[in-house]
Order: sequence, then C-alpha cells, then structure tokens
Amino acid sequence: MVEANKVPVMDIRAIIKHQRNRYPVLLIDKIVELVPGERATGIKCFTYNEWYFPGHFDDEPNVPGFVQIESLVQTFILTFLCKPEYAGMKTNFVSINNIRFKKKIVPGDVLRIEARLKTFKRGIAMGSAESFVDGEQACSAEFVVAVPDILNQFKPKP
Amino acid sequence: MSNLEKYVSAFTSTFLVDESALAHLKYQDIAAWDSVGHMSLMAALEEAFGIEMDIDDIIEFSSFEVGRTILSKYNVQME
Repeated sequence: MVEANKVPVMDIRAIIKHQRNRYPVLLIDKIVELVPGERATGIKCFTYNEWYFPGHFDDEPNVPGFVQIESLVQTFILTFLCKPEYAGMKTNFVSINNIRFKKKIVPGDVLRIEARLKTFKRGIAMGSAESFVDGEQACSAEFVVAVPDILNQFKPKP
Repeated sequence: MSNLEKYVSAFTSTFLVDESALAHLKYQDIAAWDSVGHMSLMAALEEAFGIEMDIDDIIEFSSFEVGRTILSKYNVQME
C-alpha cells in the first residue's frame, strides 16, 4: 500500500490530543504503527503549500533540516505521549546526537518516520528515529527529551 | 574501585566538575546540576551501585554530602 494511504492508528485529531505542537510546527500527519512505550511509525506528506518552501529555496524548494529533525522527534515523543498518563504533556529537547541527512526532500515526497524509545525514566526519554522516502533513508538522529511536568516531581527541595 | 571513588566519579562524569569542588556542592550550585542534570546523576548512581532509588530519596538528594547519607540506606557505605 502507498505510504500516504496507510490507515492511521492515530489520525491528526489524536495527534493533536496527545502532543502540544500546533500549526505551523506540527510536522507529522498520522501514526500508522504504534507500540506504546516501544516504537511509533509516522507519516508526513509534503506539499508546496508548506510555509517554508517559498523561503527554502525559491528556486529549489526542499525541506529544511530543522523541519526534518522536528518530524523525527514529534514521532519519537508519541512513543510515550500515546499513553493516557502522559497525554498532552509538553516536552523539551535535552540533546540531539548523530544527526545524518542522506536525501533531499522535495514537495510531493512522503516521509515515513520510524522512532524507537530506548528508555523512559523519571521524565527523561532516550531513543532514536530515522526517516525514509520511497524506502530510501532520508534522515536519522538520536534524542534525549525531557518531560518537565514529570521531571519537576523529582527535583530536590531548595 | 571503592564506593567512594564510584560516588565521586558519578558526579565528575555527569557534571564535568573537578573532584576538589565536590565536598560542598549543592543542587543548582552549578549550571550542570539542574533538574535534567539531577536525573542524569541519579541514573549514573543507580547504574554504578546497582540500586533503584525511591522518589523521596531522589527529592532529598540535595547535595554531595546529603547524597552519601542517602546512599547508606541502600547499603552503599563510604569510608
């Protein structure tokens, strides 16, 4: 089946319910595979109507690196934000490591993002994600993400 | 490596701070020991000593010195 036509396990309404990114920085369209606490597979369809294409670049539109990274991490955070107890919590980057860009992504491309959660403990999530266009690797990175609402429960007293 | 050496190593490797600065070090004394750094330190100590700390002990763990007392509850003795 074509990636863009895969039946979602989380549609855009469910994504909006479970995480806090909104237009113009909500950068995944649906989740098509999900094992809570372990992995998630997201889909992002790019069209020329995306706000960044006219500026990046007017003569050669392609997806900026920061958008690719954000698409990866937005899929990644849903590996744990899909759980009812964490749904809707905000997240912050702690670190991004080993970023690799392998392919230029252009209007019309469909990005498949595969994210894995390695550990989630006391509001600190560690894991990785990689993306593909037509089976060809586009981007990959490792993430450490904090969930302040959980993290703050463990802060020492002043 | 002795327990004290492991304890010191957890601090120096997590916060990239010199051992000489540890004796009076408290939470938020340095930029690296913020809420995220605190979780990293707890993870490093749990791995070093093969323990799992209770939430109350993680909250009470407010300084290098207090941490030594807290770890004694987990049979981690430091002479």
